[in-house]
Amino acid sequence: MELGYLAGGIAIGLASLGTAVGIGMLAAKAMEGISRQPSAASEIRTSMIIAIAFVEALCLYALVIALILVTK
Amino acid sequence: MNVIEHLQPTKVLEIEVFGIDASIYNSTLSLFFAVFIIFFFFMLVSRKAKIIPTPIQSIAEYLVDFIRLEMLAPLGSQGEKWLPFLISLFCLILISNLLGLVPGLLPPTSNINVTGTLAIIVFIMVNIVGLLKHGFLGYFRSFIPSGVPIFLIPLLFPIEVMGQVARPFSLAVRLFANMFAGHAIILVFLSFIFMFKSFLIAPLPVIGDVAISAFEIFVAFIQAFIFTYLSSSYIIGALQEEH
Repeated sequence: MELGYLAGGIAIGLASLGTAVGIGMLAAKAMEGISRQPSAASEIRTSMIIAIAFVEALCLYALVIALILVTK
Repeated sequence: MNVIEHLQPTKVLEIEVFGIDASIYNSTLSLFFAVFIIFFFFMLVSRKAKIIPTPIQSIAEYLVDFIRLEMLAPLGSQGEKWLPFLISLFCLILISNLLGLVPGLLPPTSNINVTGTLAIIVFIMVNIVGLLKHGFLGYFRSFIPSGVPIFLIPLLFPIEVMGQVARPFSLAVRLFANMFAGHAIILVFLSFIFMFKSFLIAPLPVIGDVAISAFEIFVAFIQAFIFTYLSSSYIIGALQEEH
């Protein structure tokens, strides 16, 4: 199916758009926090990485869906 | 050429036990290899343990302290019995992820069966711990958030149960997709050489691959940490008293 390729492309494209916005907001707020409170930098960094992994996972779900659509 | 076909495990040895397919695939072999590395490392470390640690012993001690302080701190002295489980989980996932960077080896965690099994182990464990701790009725009461109006309970209870059931799926798919995607991107970069049918373009994908591989080392550590951290937070959630 040619439409499967189109659907996979749209799925992963929209998902990475949302993930980019999410990770951007997260990193911006984390940097704001670090610059206000440099002594808490290591704790903020750890929790930022954990939160980024949550956001990234949503994009990877879309990747799995896209792979299923493409290889159908 | 199809990238996904290259990432499928291939059969090495065919075994069938009572009609159940128990064949050895090449990802199974790398899983055995990971287990062997972990076993050998900890045997080497714990055989001749000294009070002043040797360099290799301090790696293991740092690992144990890291998991104890980072993940099991809310449980206090009660968390000590969960330490072996979480260290085994962390080491197995970390070494499996790192094996994916060795050329020719397939990372076992890029297979949904492996990550699914690990997630189901955690899921069953968390539920049994919750049942033993709170009893049958108390366990189901823990699904209802405190301070909720009575007419909202029929609406909230299925949502909470769904949230509980979705946990192993998210654990398994997160690890699987991260490892699979990292491996696939390396292959996609290299396939540009075949796509352009020219070796003049080769330096660009190879440089990109080096950068992606360096990022993959970071991802391997992060994903092992995330899986273990989430498992420990589920265990802590099941053990804690309801307020």
